Amino acid sequence: MVRLIGIVGWIGLLNSVIGVVKADETSLKFQIDQDIDLQDDCNESLGNHEDSCNSGFLFNEDGSETEIEVTETIIEDAPRPTINLRDKEDDSIIVEDQIWYPYREHLTVKPLPKNYLLTSFDFNTESNEFIPGRPSTDFDDYSHYTVFPKAFKPILDQTSTRQLHLRFTRGFWDAESWGRLPYDGFKSGGSGVEIWAILEAASKDSAFSQWKTLVNSLSGLFCASMNFIDGAKTTFPVEAFHPMADSTLPLFDNSNKLYLIRAALANEPICTENLTPLVKLFPTKGKSGITTLLDGHKVFDSTWHSLSVDISTECYEQTDRCIHTLQALVDMVINVPKTLARNENPIPKPLPSDKLRCDLDKPYDAFHCFQLPYETEGSYGLSELFGKYIQGSSLMSEEPSQVCVEISDNWNSFIQVNGSLFATADDCFELKDFQQQDIYFESNNTNEVLDVEPVPVYVSRSLTGYGQDRGGLRTVFMNPQNEPVTLIYFETLPWFMRIYLSTMHLEKNAQSPVNISLDDILQSTYYMPAADRIRPTHLEYRITIPANTTLAVSYQFDKSLLQYAEYPPDANHGFEIESAVITVIDPTAYQLRTATLLLLLSTPDFSMPYNVIILTSTVMGLIFGTLFNLLVKKMLTVEEADKIQEGNSLQHKIQVVKGKIMTKSKFKYQEVKNDLKE
Amino acid sequence: MLLEEKYAVVSCIVIRLIVSLLFPSLQAQLDKSVELSTPMSSYRSLTEGIFLLRNGFPLYHGGVVHHPPLLVAFMSLFEPQCLVALLYALTDGLISYQLMCMARCFPGLEMPSWLPGALYALNPLALLSCVSQSSVIFANAFTSTAILCALKGNLLSFATALGIASYLSPYQSLLLIPSLYVLSRENNQRTKAALAVLSVFIVLLQLSSAVTGGSWEFLQATYWSQMNFEKLFPNLGLWWYFFIEMFDMFIPFFKAAFNLFVISFILPFSIRFQRQPFYALVLCIGWITLTKPYPTLGDAGFFFSFLPFFKPLFGYMRCPLLSVLLCIHAIILSPIFYHLWVDLGSGNSNFFYAISLVYALALGFVLIDLCWSMLRIEFDGGRPNYNLKFTPTNPKPFLGELVNKPIVVTLKFNKTQYKGNLISTDNYFNLQLSEAEEVVDGKNKGKVGDIFIRCNNVLWIGEDLSAKEQHQQKPTTSDDTPTTTD
Repeated sequence: MVRLIGIVGWIGLLNSVIGVVKADETSLKFQIDQDIDLQDDCNESLGNHEDSCNSGFLFNEDGSETEIEVTETIIEDAPRPTINLRDKEDDSIIVEDQIWYPYREHLTVKPLPKNYLLTSFDFNTESNEFIPGRPSTDFDDYSHYTVFPKAFKPILDQTSTRQLHLRFTRGFWDAESWGRLPYDGFKSGGSGVEIWAILEAASKDSAFSQWKTLVNSLSGLFCASMNFIDGAKTTFPVEAFHPMADSTLPLFDNSNKLYLIRAALANEPICTENLTPLVKLFPTKGKSGITTLLDGHKVFDSTWHSLSVDISTECYEQTDRCIHTLQALVDMVINVPKTLARNENPIPKPLPSDKLRCDLDKPYDAFHCFQLPYETEGSYGLSELFGKYIQGSSLMSEEPSQVCVEISDNWNSFIQVNGSLFATADDCFELKDFQQQDIYFESNNTNEVLDVEPVPVYVSRSLTGYGQDRGGLRTVFMNPQNEPVTLIYFETLPWFMRIYLSTMHLEKNAQSPVNISLDDILQSTYYMPAADRIRPTHLEYRITIPANTTLAVSYQFDKSLLQYAEYPPDANHGFEIESAVITVIDPTAYQLRTATLLLLLSTPDFSMPYNVIILTSTVMGLIFGTLFNLLVKKMLTVEEADKIQEGNSLQHKIQVVKGKIMTKSKFKYQEVKNDLKE
Repeated sequence: MLLEEKYAVVSCIVIRLIVSLLFPSLQAQLDKSVELSTPMSSYRSLTEGIFLLRNGFPLYHGGVVHHPPLLVAFMSLFEPQCLVALLYALTDGLISYQLMCMARCFPGLEMPSWLPGALYALNPLALLSCVSQSSVIFANAFTSTAILCALKGNLLSFATALGIASYLSPYQSLLLIPSLYVLSRENNQRTKAALAVLSVFIVLLQLSSAVTGGSWEFLQATYWSQMNFEKLFPNLGLWWYFFIEMFDMFIPFFKAAFNLFVISFILPFSIRFQRQPFYALVLCIGWITLTKPYPTLGDAGFFFSFLPFFKPLFGYMRCPLLSVLLCIHAIILSPIFYHLWVDLGSGNSNFFYAISLVYALALGFVLIDLCWSMLRIEFDGGRPNYNLKFTPTNPKPFLGELVNKPIVVTLKFNKTQYKGNLISTDNYFNLQLSEAEEVVDGKNKGKVGDIFIRCNNVLWIGEDLSAKEQHQQKPTTSDDTPTTTD
C-alpha cells in the first residue's frame, strides 16, 4: 500500500509539473470490479516507468481486495492528489478527484445496408509540450511522457518527422451499397500497409535517409514489413497527400525544408501482430474502455478493416512550445449474420434441413429449397460481435469513453450495465468506470438504415492483356453526379512495369460525350518514370470527369524480366501492385483507393543456373574455338609445310638430330642385314 | 543503273509500303515480337521518346527510351504513320540499292549486279524488320553506306556514314577496323579515316547533348545500358538468360567477358583476311550479330544479304544444309516457343532459351563455314577447285584401288621414298611393291626390285602421279596430307 501511494503521488507530481490537470472540486468515487494488473517493480523504478504504470494504477493483484481513495491536497500552487488506501470488505477502489490526461476515446457504431455494421474506434491523445529544435544531447534535456506513447517521440525527434500517417487496411469497401468511406476516406489506406510522412530536412537526400530510419523504426514497432521500403518503393507526392491548406506545419530550423514522402506495401497481410502494438499505444492498453473490444480474432474476421495512426506537430506561437497530437483509428465493417453464425458454429457447416429458411412461394421439398435472404429482424449486442464486453471506461481521460450509435428510427439501441438496459435520446452512451457494459441493438427491419452518403466518383482499375511480357492498365472513372468532379489521380508502379505514356488514351462508351478528348479533361500531369531498381514510376494527374459520365484512361506497359535472385520465393504467385489513390478536390473533399492488382511476370526456370552457364558457355566456346582454330592456321601441302619448317623451327632441328640418330641405327641395321646375307 | 536494278529497288520499296499500309496492325504486332525488336531498338520505345520530347519531359530520366537523342529528334519530324512507313521503306530501298552498287565493285564474282538487291528486297527477315519499324534499319543503312564509300575510297562520306552508324548502334563502331582495310592500303589514309570517324562521332555526341539540354544522361541510357545489359528482356542473343540466371557477384565479371567476346574476333578477322578486306568486314558484321547483347532478326537479315558476295565460296562449304536448316528451325520455332512460355504458360523459359542457342549455333556455323571457305580459296590461290577433297579418305578402299598401280610410299625417317607398283596389301596396310625404286632426299638411289614394307614404317602412301606423267603435284593421301601449320 505504501508503494501505491508512492505511485499515485508521483503521478500527481507529474501533473503539477506539466500543468494539464484541471482540478475538479468534486471528488469522484469509482468502483472497481475488474482485474487490473500492477507490476511489482513500479515503485522500485519510479523515475522511468511512468508510462508503463500510470495507466494502470488501479489494480487488483492475486485476488486481494483493496480500496483506494484519492483525495486532493495542495503542494505549492499545484493540485496534488493523495491516496488513502484502506482495506475493506468489498473489492472496490475509490479514486477521489480524478487525474486527467489529454486522452479521448470514442466508438461510433453505424449499421449499414444488408446487415453490415460499421464500427469506428477513435483514439486521440497529445504529448506534453516541448521546446522545438532542441538537440536531445542537451545536458538538461529530459522527456516526459504521459499518455502520448513513449515509443513514438524519440523516433519523431530523430527523423525530424512533423507528420506521420500510417494505414493498415485490408478488405473490400463496397462503395455502391455502403457509400462513403469513414472520414471521407482520408483515414483509410489501400489494401496492405501505407505510410506517408512529412519530414524536415536540409535536402532531399537527407530527407530520404531520415525516411529510411523512420520506416525501419516503425517496422519494428508495428511488426510490419516496412523495413522493405526502399528507394524503389518510395515516392515524393506532388499534389496528392498534401495536408489541407488550413494546417501549417512548423519548421524547427528555417534553413530546412519539408518533404512529403510516401510508400506502400500492397497486400501486406494485416493481422494481430499489427493490432496489438497499436492497442498498446493507448494508456488503457486494451484493459479498460473501448479498447477491450479490440480482439484480433474478431477485428480481422471483418469484411473490411482499417487501422490508422496519424501524428502531427502543432506549435503555439505565444509560448514557442510544440506538442504532438496522435489520432489512431480502427474501423471495420462486420458482416453481422456471419459473425453471429460463427459464434454458434465456430467451424462452418451446412445448416440442418429444419433450420433452412425456404422461400415458400417457390417449390420446395426435402431436396429443393430456395433460401430466403437473411432475416431482417434482428437484435444483437456488441459483445456478441466482438466476443467481449466493454470493461469500464478510460479512467484518466478528460471525458469518459463514449459510444455513439448512428441509427434510423426503426432501430433501438441500449447500453447494458449490470444486466439493466438504458437508452439515451441522442443514442450516445458514456461508459461507466469499473462496470461491465454492452451496447445492444434491435430493429424490426435491419435493411432500413440511415441513408448512405453517395460517393462523388467511382474508380476502378484493372490489368488488360493476356501475355506475361506486356499488358495495359485501364482505369475507369464513373461520375454518377450531376456536376463535374475534379480529382487527383496518384499512382506508383514498380520499376519492372515499363510504362509507355505515349499510349495513354481515353476510352469512351456510348454515353460519354463524343467530342471529349484526353487533353480537355487532363489538367496537369506529373510523370516521373521509373529507374530500374532505383525508383518507381510516379504518375499524378488532375482530371475532371464530366457530369454523369463514365470514362476510362488506359495505357500500355512492358514487363521486364528480373534477375534470378530478385524473384520472391513464390514467383508464380505474381507481384502485388499497390492501389491508385484518388483524391477528389471538387465539389467535395474525398479520397478513395482502387483495389490492388496482381501482376504476373514471366519467370525463368529457377533450377537452371548451372545448366545455363554450362550450355551458353559451351556454345560460345564451340564457336570461338572453331573460329580460333581456323584463323590461326593456313592451308599448305606437306611439302610446303616441310619447307617452311626447315631451317627456322626448333622442332625441325630436333627432327634433324633425331634423323641422324636413326640413320646411325639404320646403318647398324643394314650391317646386321649384310651380315645375315653373308 | 540497269533496268533490273531499278526493278529491284522499286520492288523493295513497294513491297514494304504495301505490307505496312495493307496491314496497319502488323507493325505493332511485329514490334512486340522479341525476335524483331529489343528495348534498344523497338519502335514503341522510339514513339515514347518522341512523346516525351514533344511534351517537354526529360528523355532519359526513366528506363524506357534508349534511342540516341538525334534519332528521336529526327523521327519526331514525321507525324503521320504512313509517312513513317514511307521513310522506313525508302531506307530499306537505299540499302538494297547500295548492295547492288557494291556488287558492281566486284566484277569478278560473275554474279549479276542486281542479284543482291533483289534478294534483299525479298529477304523475309529484312522485310519483317522494316515493317516492324525497328531502328536497327537506320544503323544498317549507314553501315552499308559506309561500306560502299569505303569500297569506292571516298574517305569523307565513309567517315560520316560510319560515324553515324556507330552513333546509332554502338557495336557498329567495331566495324571501323575492318573497313579501314577496305578503304585504303596506306596507313596514312587509315589514320586519317579513323580520326575522321571519331570526330564525326564526337560531333554527334555534342549535338545530342545540345538537343537534350546540355545533359550527358543519354550516354548512360543509350550506350552504357547496352554494354551493361541493363534491360533483361528475352531475345535471340546469348546474353539474356545467362544474366538472368547468373549469380549476383559474378555478373560484372561476365558482363566484361561477354563484351570482350564481342570484340574478340574483330581484329583477328581484319588481320587474317586483310587481302580480302570486304569479306573480313562481312564476317565482322556476322560476328557482331551473333554476339551483341540485343540482336534482332533485322541484324541477321542484313548480314545474310551480304552472303551472295560469297558466291565463289559456296562450293567449299562443308555444312550449308545444316546451317540453313538450323536457321529456319530457330526462326520458325522461336515465336512458337516464346508464345508457349509467355502467353500460354504451357512451356517454360528453357524452350525459348534452347531456340536462342540453336540460332547462335546456326549463325556460328555460317561464320565457321565462311571462314573455312576463305582459307580454302586462299589455298587454291583464288581459283576455285572444288574437286580437291580435303576430307579424309577411307584408307582401305583407297589402297584397294591402288593395287596394280604405281604408288609412292614415304617412310617416317631418312626422307626415304619408294616408288613402285603395289602388288598387294593386307589389313595392317603392309605393302608389297614390285619394280620399286628407292628415293632418298629426292635423289634416286636406283631400283631395289620387289620389296615388302612393314606398315609401321610408312608415313604416307599415294598414287605415283609422276609415273602417270601428270603435272599435278598435290598428292591426295590417306592421312593428314593438307597439313596446316602455323
